[in-house]
Order: sequence, then structure tokens, then C-alpha cells
Amino acid sequence: MIRVPQIVLLALCLAACSKEARSLGPSLPQTPPAADDDPRIPAYEGNFFQIAQGGRYFAWYGCAACHGETSPGVLDLADGQWRHGGGFAAVFAAIADRHGRLAYRARVPAEQLWQLTAYVRDLPGHFPEKRRRTDLDQQAEPRAATWSGPQ
Amino acid sequence: MVRPAVKRRLIIAQALLLAGCGGIQSPLHPAGDQAGALHGLFLLMIVVCGGIYLLVVFGLLWTLWRARRQAGAASADDRPLDRGLWTAAVVIVIGLTVLIAGSFLADRALFAARDRDALEIRVTGHQWWWRIEYRDPASGRWIETANELHLPLGRTARVTLRAADVIHSFWVPNVAGKIDMIPGRRNLIDLTPRMEGWFRGQCTEFCGAQHAHMAFDVKIERPEVFDAWLVAQTRPALEPADAVAARGRAVFAGPCGACHVVRGTAAAGRAGPDLTHVASRRSIAAGTLPMTRGGLQGWIAQPQALKPGTSMPQVSLSPADADAVSAYLAGLR
Repeated sequence: MIRVPQIVLLALCLAACSKEARSLGPSLPQTPPAADDDPRIPAYEGNFFQIAQGGRYFAWYGCAACHGETSPGVLDLADGQWRHGGGFAAVFAAIADRHGRLAYRARVPAEQLWQLTAYVRDLPGHFPEKRRRTDLDQQAEPRAATWSGPQ
Repeated sequence: MVRPAVKRRLIIAQALLLAGCGGIQSPLHPAGDQAGALHGLFLLMIVVCGGIYLLVVFGLLWTLWRARRQAGAASADDRPLDRGLWTAAVVIVIGLTVLIAGSFLADRALFAARDRDALEIRVTGHQWWWRIEYRDPASGRWIETANELHLPLGRTARVTLRAADVIHSFWVPNVAGKIDMIPGRRNLIDLTPRMEGWFRGQCTEFCGAQHAHMAFDVKIERPEVFDAWLVAQTRPALEPADAVAARGRAVFAGPCGACHVVRGTAAAGRAGPDLTHVASRRSIAAGTLPMTRGGLQGWIAQPQALKPGTSMPQVSLSPADADAVSAYLAGLR
């Protein structure tokens, strides 16, 4: 016989699946967030899949070359201190426009900037074990322009 | 009795079934030494297991027939039964021994190419495409392409299989068996093709939403044709043929160049497939679309609609820019 606590636990487990939900298809944001309360933000910040995709593009575009785990001061994205504001719209703008000649707004599509922003804003909450596991998961993935195959 | 119309339909169905075996993606139509060894083992298993099946059915019928004939007259000393059981036991042992020997010989055949001098190829599985690299025998450099494997007829190719993200599996059924591509490991497979033509490979380990759209074309060609192809692949990209294509190259270097490389231009990204000679391939996006200018433009405009979940993002380009990029790519032969 299944008891009440087990049923509640099962229901909670099922409810947690929505954090993994992924939407496949062509309905994507084509514009930057209007403000920190843009209604599209929760679909990115509250979703593990979108945050993880941001992490993959973070590696592929070579962001980790400067924003590594041991990067000092303003390059350290995980210390929770933001020079140009920590809101979603501010971080989005900093990624898109504050990288000089790398010109990410022109080179990175809008949806990937949304995912990258969600990932970067999630970084301060990553405890060491989670970072280690993310590194292991992404060990073989392409990294920036000098990558030459999985090691 | 079977009516003529039904009989005709049965014959047609049988012919269609047999025609299905001659496909470009079928282990029943071996075009390589390794697939030939596995095909032989398969036929041996059919024969031995078919024989055992017939023996069991025969034994069952024989028992029923005996039981009906000697109803009620069972005796402890039953010589025909003893003989029948001993025969069955001996036949089973012989059948299993034949199968074990066949399996051993097929395994030996699969690894027979290990001592031979081989062409070195690296294949990396990505969600959801194949990175393919050839070792240039002259310079020792790696020449990269994607989603299309060319093999020289009669020469062994040693393929190192790796994965960049999740577990994939490499299978060209007409040439060899399948082997998994596991992140953090290198697996080896030898391919010794014996028949010219186009074949098809497919990922055979579920790897995510677009697992079914993770295929590649395989071209087996005469060694001199293969050598010419490899030399062409080492060259940098062709120059744009006209002003539209030249504009396409300039646009491509921006958003597309963040992930794709076209050797000889400013585009040098490593995350996506090498597009230096993209138009020389047969299909787009790992077997999703045929290679045409329209296919290229459609893929650039709406990758998420054609292959939902793909890591190829939808890039906002003006219609004129998208047209120029597709014209440029269609000229990269």
C-alpha cells in the first residue's frame, strides 16, 4: 500500500520536471530584454535546460578564455559583484555591447544571448561540486577558435 | 489452395522484401570485408538455428504420433525414446560448437586488418552531426570535413571514434558493424570497402531529440578518385564568383564565423561543422536536407523549424544578406 507521504513525494518529483522543460521550435526571442521585469525572462532564468545551453555556448564562443574560474576582479563572473549592474537587462547589455571589437551583439544571435545571460547570472549560485561536474560534462566540447578535437 | 490473385500479391510482397535487402543502408548487402564477415556469421546462425527449430518441431510431432499409437502402454524400457534423446543431445552440441567456431572466425576476420597499413581517420560525434578528419599522408596534418565520409576502394581505413557531448554510435551497415562513441574514450574500427558507390551511415545510439537526423553519406571510390578528393579538401575555400557571393562572404564572417570555419577567410569558429567545401557534399545538416541553394537558404532562415533543438541558432539576417550567404555557400565546392 502506498502511503500519503510517498504520494506527496512523487507529486513533488513530477512537479520538479517543469524546471527541465524545453521548448523546441521556432518561437524564439528576437529582441533584447526591455527591462529587468521582461515577461520572457522567467522562461530562461527558471529553466535548467536554457541555463545549461548558455553554459555550452559560453564554452563554444570561448568566453572561458578570459572569464575562467580563477580570473581576477571584474573578469570573475561568479563573485556576485557587477560593475554595470546585475539585473537581467544590464548583464545582457554588458555581454552584447561591452566586449569591444568582439561585438557580440552582431555575432551572437539574440536567443543565445538570452541563454548566456541566464547562465552568467546563475554562476554565483554554482557551488564547487556543481562547477566540477559541469567542467567534466563539457570536457570534450569545442572551445573557442584554437580547439582541435576532444582530448 | 491459394487463389491466383492472392498468390500474385504474395510474390510481389516477397520481391519487395528481397529488394529491401539491397539498400544503401543494409547489413544484408555487404560492401566491405567486416560487413562480409558479419553477414557470413548471420547466415550461419540462420542455418544452424533453423535446423534446430526443425528438429524440435519434428521431435514434437514424433512424440504426439507415438503417444497416440501406444495409448496406455507405457514401459520403463523405451529404446526408441533413448535413441531419440541421445541424437538430439549430440546434434545440439554439434550445432553450438559450429556457432562458437563461426563466431570465433568472424571475430578474427574483424580484427584481421589491425596489422595492415591503414588510412587514418578521426570521427567525432556531436549533437547532431559528425566531424570527420583525415590525416594527410604527405604533411601529417589533419584535414577536416563533416557529415560525408569518403573511403578508397580496397584500402583499409582505421577510424578513431570520439564523442564531444553524449554517447553516439557509428554505423555504416554495408561496410562494418557498429561501435559506440563514448565521451572521454577512443574506440577504433577498421573499414575495408570492396564495392564502389554511395552508402549511408547513421547514429545508432539514442543521443537526443534529433538522433534520427544524425546521418552521413558514405562514398566508396577508386583510390585515384579518392586521392584527388582529399587533395581538393586540403585547399582553402574558393573565392566568391560574383558580387553577391562576395557580399555573402563578408556577412558570413560575422555571425556565422563565430561557430563555423571556412579556411582562407576570417570565419574561424570551431563549434560547428567545417564549411570550407560545403557545396561539394551531398546533404545539409547531417542528412536533413539535400544540398541545394534553396536548402541552404531554408536551413539558414529556420534551422529550429527544420531540425528542432539543433544547436545551429536562428540568425537574424536581412533577406538580401541571407540570399548572399546562401549564394556564397553554394559556390564553396
